[in-house]
Amino acid sequence: MLDSVILSGIFTILIGVGGMFAYFWASNWVLDNVVYPPRGENIGRNINRANAIRPWLFLFPAMFALGLYLVVPVFYSAWLSVTSGVAEDGGWYRNYTEIFANETFRVSLLNNMLWVLVVPAASTAFGLLAAQLTDRLSWGNLAKSLVFMPMAISFVGASLIWSFVYHPDIDIGVINALRGLFGAEEGVTLVDGQIIDSFLLMVVLIWIQTGFAMVILSAALRGVPEETIEAAILDGANPFQIFFKIKVPQIMGTIVVVWTTITILVLKVYDIVAAMGNQYRNLEILPTQMMRYFDSGNYGFATAISIVIMVLVLPVMVWNIRQARAELR
Amino acid sequence: MFPAPIQTRPRPAQITYQSMLPLALILWLLPLLAVAFFSVKPAVDFTAGNYWGLPSTFAGLENYGKVFFESDMPRYLLNSVLITVPTVIGAVALSCMTGFALGVYRFRGNLWIFFMFVAGNFVPFQILMVPVRDLTLDLGLYNTKTGLVLFHIAFQTGFCTLFMRNFIRALPFELIEAARVEGVAEWRIFWFVVLPLMKPAIAALSVLIFTFIWNDYFWAIVLTQGADTQPVTAGITSFNAQYRAAYHLMSAGSIVAALPPVAMFFLMQRHFIAGLTLGAVK
Repeated sequence: MLDSVILSGIFTILIGVGGMFAYFWASNWVLDNVVYPPRGENIGRNINRANAIRPWLFLFPAMFALGLYLVVPVFYSAWLSVTSGVAEDGGWYRNYTEIFANETFRVSLLNNMLWVLVVPAASTAFGLLAAQLTDRLSWGNLAKSLVFMPMAISFVGASLIWSFVYHPDIDIGVINALRGLFGAEEGVTLVDGQIIDSFLLMVVLIWIQTGFAMVILSAALRGVPEETIEAAILDGANPFQIFFKIKVPQIMGTIVVVWTTITILVLKVYDIVAAMGNQYRNLEILPTQMMRYFDSGNYGFATAISIVIMVLVLPVMVWNIRQARAELR
Repeated sequence: MFPAPIQTRPRPAQITYQSMLPLALILWLLPLLAVAFFSVKPAVDFTAGNYWGLPSTFAGLENYGKVFFESDMPRYLLNSVLITVPTVIGAVALSCMTGFALGVYRFRGNLWIFFMFVAGNFVPFQILMVPVRDLTLDLGLYNTKTGLVLFHIAFQTGFCTLFMRNFIRALPFELIEAARVEGVAEWRIFWFVVLPLMKPAIAALSVLIFTFIWNDYFWAIVLTQGADTQPVTAGITSFNAQYRAAYHLMSAGSIVAALPPVAMFFLMQRHFIAGLTLGAVK
């Protein structure tokens, strides 16, 4: 049975790749030989027309996929949020007013804000620190790989690993075992639904994302011109001044990019809270709350929350596109 | 060389620096080390209260054997492979084409389409959840690997296009011009001139997308259910529910689930880091 699964997998891949190649070749052939052949009396016009259409041949499959799975769903979700559930009989806004009136929603909004404030800041700071400390070390590359390793692990996997760290048993939990080394007898329950426990969950994401920040920032640090540092040393600057007043300002652009990239990731994060704090109301964030409504079939509330998340992402998204435009000019 | 290398700093500073750093690293990896350590301990150690001492016998083979032969883990791993590999191939192939179109041709709407791909990159995936599940149900692809693969390809296309377009823009345009002057057909330029130059970008992007998709959990639970279709990220949660108190097996399972992307990372480290750097800073 396993063989047939693998075979059908390979078969699907072959069909997909073959299909894509066939599309690419055939569409170009038709354009060049049937629709606008580069011969006859209109040869010049035909070549120009063919070249105006060609980019769309390359773009079509991706745009079709993006339209079907991304563009249409965004509008459909927005539509659902104002027409389904309690919005059916009553105002279009009722899904929104009802979720905002909900106590748990307000807690999850607050938690989400905390995540967005803490995780990008801490990851970027740790990443910068790690990049600087390993910069001129003989075994710096090995150190970097090790700091970076958690990035390759899935959020779920990392959550399970950290559940061991926070385990309430004095003998099993890493933190409790460390406390045991210093004479503690009873284990403490670390994650038990206090608002403050969100920070323990954030540690997991910081652990994962620090490596990302470090890699990008260490490339940027390498790009800081030596002369500026030399000049600062000749002027008698100490290492801290060199770092904060010479290096950091010069890589500010990259720091902002790293910061916003992690911010967007944090707004979408679901797995960690679902895996580690699913039973606690106080640890909810918007995506877990949304999943709860989704599972119970309340699509009105679920899509309304997703629109709220979208609105939170929007400023970062607009800023990023403007940034990309400025660079293109 | 400025600033002074650590070797020429005063001795005490050197020693603190060089000993604190490894210590900090060990602390950083402690969660992983602890789990790896638990995974080679026999079950008796836990009942006998020998939690952190040396394993009484090395039970690595036995524990991992159990994971591989007495659970659904191999099935989940296979599902992950069958979801991840086609997605990587599909997304990279599509984005080579879109990246070529957006990077090489000047035409009206070029920038707007590019921005659409950039924006698609930022859309929070939660907003797609209800419609995409409905769509997958309508297509009859709910709870199939194909349904999951199709969605992943579409969703990753935004990031991949951004990545490929920026890479192609940085290529020497004279090569393409020269080929055009020689009268080479456009599809041949794509196939024989540009594609070979894109090999480093293809490698970097493939490694990156591989880990993204392998580590996806959200869409796995939205679009699939059960051991026949779900990938290992979903599998490990049910595995853990099954062996709730068997710490040695839970640890071994966690290691098995985490291993493929970590191995991928160490084998392809150069590409991975090149990919991240290219993707984040244009």
